[in-house]
Amino acid sequence: MSKITVAGVRQHVADLLEYSNETKKRNFLETVELQIGLKNYDPQRDKRFSGTVKLPTVPRPGMSICILGDQHDIDRAKHGGVDAMSADDLKKLNKNKKLIKKLARKYDAFIASDTLIKQIPRLLGPGLSKAGKFPTPVSHADDLSAKITEVKSTIKFQLKKVLCMGVAVGNVGMEQEQLVANIMLSINYLVSLLKKGWQNVGSLTIKATMSPPKRLY
Amino acid sequence: MPKRKVAALEKVEADLASLQYRIRRDPKSYAQEFYDQWLAYDAQRQIFMASPTTASNDDVKKFHDLVDLVAHVADLYPELTAAYPDHLKELLIRHHAVLDRELREKVVGSLVLIRRKDVIDSTSLLTTLFPVLISTPSKSLRSLLYAKIISDLRESNSKTTNHRLNRTIQTVLHNLVTSDRTSTKGMWATRITRELWRRQIWTDAKPCDVMKEACLSDNEKVVVGGVRFFLGGDKEREQMEDDSSDDEVDIKKVKHQIEINKKSKKRQKAVERALEKVKKQERKKKAPHPLNFSALHLINDPQGFAEKLFQKHLQNTKNRFALESKLAILQLVTRLVGLHKLTVLSLYSWFARYLTPKQASVTSFLASLAQGTHDLVPPDAIEPLIVKIANEFVSEASASEVAAAGINAIREVAIRQPLCMNETLLQDLVQYQKSKDKGVVMAAKGLQSLYREVYPELLQRKYRGKEATMGLRSGETKQRKFGEQEAGGIEGIELLEKYKDEQKAKKLAEKEEGGDKADDSDDDGFNSDEWEVGSDTSMSSGGWINVSDDEDDEPATKRAKTDSEAPDLVGAEKLDVSEATSLSKLATTSILTPADLLKLQELRMEANVDKALGGASKRKKELIQRHIDEGVTADDIELPATLGKKTTKEERRALAADGKPGREEHKSTQAIRKSKKEAEGKSTTNKEKARKKNFLMTLGKARQKNKRSLTETRRALKAHVAKAKSGGRRANGVSAN
Repeated sequence: MSKITVAGVRQHVADLLEYSNETKKRNFLETVELQIGLKNYDPQRDKRFSGTVKLPTVPRPGMSICILGDQHDIDRAKHGGVDAMSADDLKKLNKNKKLIKKLARKYDAFIASDTLIKQIPRLLGPGLSKAGKFPTPVSHADDLSAKITEVKSTIKFQLKKVLCMGVAVGNVGMEQEQLVANIMLSINYLVSLLKKGWQNVGSLTIKATMSPPKRLY
Repeated sequence: MPKRKVAALEKVEADLASLQYRIRRDPKSYAQEFYDQWLAYDAQRQIFMASPTTASNDDVKKFHDLVDLVAHVADLYPELTAAYPDHLKELLIRHHAVLDRELREKVVGSLVLIRRKDVIDSTSLLTTLFPVLISTPSKSLRSLLYAKIISDLRESNSKTTNHRLNRTIQTVLHNLVTSDRTSTKGMWATRITRELWRRQIWTDAKPCDVMKEACLSDNEKVVVGGVRFFLGGDKEREQMEDDSSDDEVDIKKVKHQIEINKKSKKRQKAVERALEKVKKQERKKKAPHPLNFSALHLINDPQGFAEKLFQKHLQNTKNRFALESKLAILQLVTRLVGLHKLTVLSLYSWFARYLTPKQASVTSFLASLAQGTHDLVPPDAIEPLIVKIANEFVSEASASEVAAAGINAIREVAIRQPLCMNETLLQDLVQYQKSKDKGVVMAAKGLQSLYREVYPELLQRKYRGKEATMGLRSGETKQRKFGEQEAGGIEGIELLEKYKDEQKAKKLAEKEEGGDKADDSDDDGFNSDEWEVGSDTSMSSGGWINVSDDEDDEPATKRAKTDSEAPDLVGAEKLDVSEATSLSKLATTSILTPADLLKLQELRMEANVDKALGGASKRKKELIQRHIDEGVTADDIELPATLGKKTTKEERRALAADGKPGREEHKSTQAIRKSKKEAEGKSTTNKEKARKKNFLMTLGKARQKNKRSLTETRRALKAHVAKAKSGGRRANGVSAN
């Protein structure tokens, strides 16, 4: 495969959506993942890249988020129906590694108030950053729900010890156009991150949670 | 008669080398002879096993030869010599300390030999040699064993990676390091691992794990071995690779020389060899680059490792390591913290003790502090350290080098965590750009320019500069909050979008003019230019097919053929799309081709030239990236202090001589060049030849000239004048009339 066209992507997305929504509909909202294989990439000599990009549509609306905040933010969170924890709650964890790990596993992302976030490393130790879930700051002036959407729609490309990775770019409940836009943006962003552009891309595949994979490139 | 027979037999016995030769030629017919030798060997062996030290010199010599013989032909008599490897192993393991040196080396050599003949496998060989290596007191044996172990591992991994063997050996090394943490035996594990890492034989996480354990050992030597591996192992590996590709052959030169020089078989062969080598190198160049993850990235659980390392070797006050080793450990810990963004908060309070100008090698401490800082470190952990550096190092009274190093260290820390600075301190430090010392001035200006970019509010209004002030007013420069991750976008995508729109508008306008011939050709010319940019990259990428539906990338030839209506339609469609969506529609509706990416880069560069600020921030990003990958060294901290210094005469001389051709004696440049030319076998000019010509050979011509008659002289002169008038021999410049 050495070709990628907009029409081809669109076709694959349509196939995928048809499979997941009609042929074999599952009892849950399947997530669409973009899987990337890199090639000719020397992780030592070329800079290891990591980057985040904000997608036009939220890929995973069901993401669970926890607010770590002061009283004002907790009130706002309760108003919006989001889980929240105060500094005292965090102190109760008592730096217990297991409890912190449990907390990190329970939520997909964290948001912390400006006033609290500086104490997070002291209160919780390395647990959250180890899980890659260090909170995003929010100030009292920010709109909390807007911030939550922003966190939900931001995806992260990060290369670990192997040359392949996967990111969630959407779900099967989305419109085809939205899904295509999300996929295109992710691909374009990824390619712009790579030193040699398309020469570093080995393969691109999209796949819903329980669908067969579709190779784009 | 019987006497003679005995003599002949003895001769055979003595001449084991010829026996070996004959056995190799015809193993079957010499089976009986070998059996006799085998018995002799076995008898000797039993004596040696019982009392290895009592044997006379002759016996040792004899046994030595027998061992050698059996080793060389063991593969031919597998049944008879089945016990031979075990004999050797037992002998070596039990008596390696007391055996005669030559005999011992022979036993090792024989083991390696029968390994090469596949009588035994690598695992059994290495598991035999290994215990001897770490227990023997003899230096020569150790170096021999080390060399043999490395070469055997290389050999068994040469064709394909022998995972099984590697795993076994790695486990042995791992156990060696972990079993006895106080002994120096772990040294061998680190040495072997490092060597194999350097040669890219071991590249996965397991050897890193061995080294990690070595770092956590109690023995200083082992620890330093492990730490140095992590700090320098990857660079070593890269250097090794570069070196191996360095000795390139100039094939043109070789081919030229074979044409000119005398032909001989030897030379012909040399040329063939050179060609072969070049071919091999070409093949190597084309082969995909092997994957090299840095050892620092492959560590399992870096957080736990960094914490343990710090607690065990640095925080522990009972530790009596030398300062140098401690610095190396500190460097590794901070490197890990910076690279993996770890949280080791006790590290920062620990630093406070060491941040005084009187501390030995304080610049290394400063560099470590800088590389141990990252954007997830709480600012209140670093702020006291910054204040301490400022108080201890930077004052009017302190020496200029000290002040410069202090300010520079603060800057290095602030690059990584700008929030650690408070307003009064920064304003005070920036004032030092009025100092008299150049180093201090440079350091202070560096700090100022950093804060102009990242946090201009902290600076006094007059130091903010134009861009920062304007950015602040327009709300463009925003202070990043702690823990905030910059959401990246495709840098300059809006520029590309604008550019494409412009192109489209241009084309539309042209179309409206109505099929103007000149314009059409102009348009095609431009597009074909652009197409070439794209196709260039496609050549190098090996078969990229340009796939964008964007019509800019269509081949010019195709464009010329399509009638005027088609592109017009496409253009109109595009415009509609652009109006419909506002959010970078280019990135969400089309796929960027290599040509697009190239243009993007170009546009970005242009924009950066226009806006100096953009360029600067890019520079800053590069700086941070560099540090993440390479770490900060003491030299980086000391750099500005050396800036204003006047160099001594010796330094200047060394600087001037650097990079020039070496000259042992005093010689003119001309002479050096000439001798170099001569050494390379290059030809000489006619002038040089004339100058070098033997004097006696020129004598005849000179004499002839003197003997000429008056008329002859006159004729010659006339001819000369005429020739000169017509512009010399080649009639240069003057037309012959």
